Amino acid sequence: MIERRAAPLLPTILVCAGGLYCAYLVRQALMPFVLSFALAYVVNPLIDAVETRGLRRFHIVLAFYLLAAFLLYLLAQYLLPLVSAETSRLQADAPAYLARAQKFAADLQSHAARRLPRSGLPIGQLASHAYASALEQLQLVPSYILSLFPLISLFFLVPFITFFLLLDGPLLISTLIQAAPSRYVEQSLHLLNEIDASLGHYLRGILIVALAITVVSYVGLLALGVNAALSIAVLSGVSSFVPYLGAVMGALVGGIAAAVQFGTAKAGLKVVLLFVGIRMGDEMLLQPFIARYSVHLHPLLFLLSMMIGGEIFGFLGLVFAVPTACIIKALLNVAWEWYVSEARLRGHDTRACVAVPYT
Amino acid sequence: MPLPRFLKRIFSDPEASHKRAFLRSLDLFSDLRFMDLGHLVQNMHDRTYHEGEVLFVEGDIGRALFILESGKIELTKAGPDGKPQKIYTIQPGEFFGEMALLEQLPRTATATALERSQVFLLYRSKLESILNYHPRIGVQIMTHLAQLLSARLRRASSAAGCMPAS
Repeated sequence: MIERRAAPLLPTILVCAGGLYCAYLVRQALMPFVLSFALAYVVNPLIDAVETRGLRRFHIVLAFYLLAAFLLYLLAQYLLPLVSAETSRLQADAPAYLARAQKFAADLQSHAARRLPRSGLPIGQLASHAYASALEQLQLVPSYILSLFPLISLFFLVPFITFFLLLDGPLLISTLIQAAPSRYVEQSLHLLNEIDASLGHYLRGILIVALAITVVSYVGLLALGVNAALSIAVLSGVSSFVPYLGAVMGALVGGIAAAVQFGTAKAGLKVVLLFVGIRMGDEMLLQPFIARYSVHLHPLLFLLSMMIGGEIFGFLGLVFAVPTACIIKALLNVAWEWYVSEARLRGHDTRACVAVPYT
Repeated sequence: MPLPRFLKRIFSDPEASHKRAFLRSLDLFSDLRFMDLGHLVQNMHDRTYHEGEVLFVEGDIGRALFILESGKIELTKAGPDGKPQKIYTIQPGEFFGEMALLEQLPRTATATALERSQVFLLYRSKLESILNYHPRIGVQIMTHLAQLLSARLRRASSAAGCMPAS
């Protein structure tokens, strides 16, 4: 009888827990690496697809970067005039919009007063507060722009780190496999594959959703004649990295913008309906395709992971809460499968088929 | 489409070419095309085992196919007295542990590296991924495995005197 050695489970768990705590302590420094890792994960299948033709990975990654830079340049050529036009239009129209909003609030108050004479709704007071607050915020815009400068460093740092992750990603996996104890190589591969499957599909899926929401909402808002269509579409697309938030943000901001621009609640309602349609389209067309291969989380686990992620890491925590939960679920799945297979709790019985003689 | 020679020298990856050439030399993958072999190389992992390192132990759950590129691997099986008995020595170009690709059952032997050995691993879920995304490659691998199984079954039946070996 062959002696079986137990896997060093407890030390592994302790080392992992220690590593996670250290990562938590240096979470700010890790942010560009986490973003780069996610970006590399999304781009890697493209690099792999070209690599099957036998080309050197360095040349493929370099060519990809040159192509991406060229496409970004073209996109910037198209987008910058649009953004500039939208900003100047917003600056020019802002006083008129604010006046219209005040008038809308006053109309609402008089309407409410006619219907509910004793209600004494402080709509006018609230509108004055909102007006003062809006003016205050407009004065703070330069400081908001200055506060975005640390993000500009990410704009350069993330592609730089991603370049090396794309280049040396396979080497990293090989090193991990080589470092695994010889007898546990198969288990290590099992774990890597489970994580790769759930994480890769989730990250690629959420990027597809964000792009789709941005494009469709931009086209839809343009069709409805909303002025700041691009800004609202981009805001909606970026927010959709947090599950379900994209359509909500789009409907809220777009609805208010349309109502203020056209001076009617009906225009705002049209925008809200547009985003309801986008959300339904996402649910019916994209999600079945995206969720096909990714790890399915129970809604309660989903909610819990979002709350914990948001509490610890803020917005990025919300974005990466679900992938992290997917990794944890993959780890638990693998541990359970090992336990079941080692304990022989489950096994495919082929004896029924084997009973038929070999002919 | 293969690259022209002067471009090949600059752009082609010698390591990937070497792996591709090795895999093509095996019966299991001999019918695969250039691009198919590229997909296969990407879905395989390689590892170096040093002398005396154990690849798997009899009774472990199998999850991967092993292909020996260089070195020697010894397969042993526990005898009635519990002592390991040598049953086969794997030579370069041979593969083993292939039944793990079909079902997750305990390994029937222990594999140990007799010398420094370079081994390719095709993990079960990678094969499933190949079957999903590149069915042509998957079908060829599965056909070869089925033929191998059939041949072994015939040999076993023949040894037991049930039927003539063909």
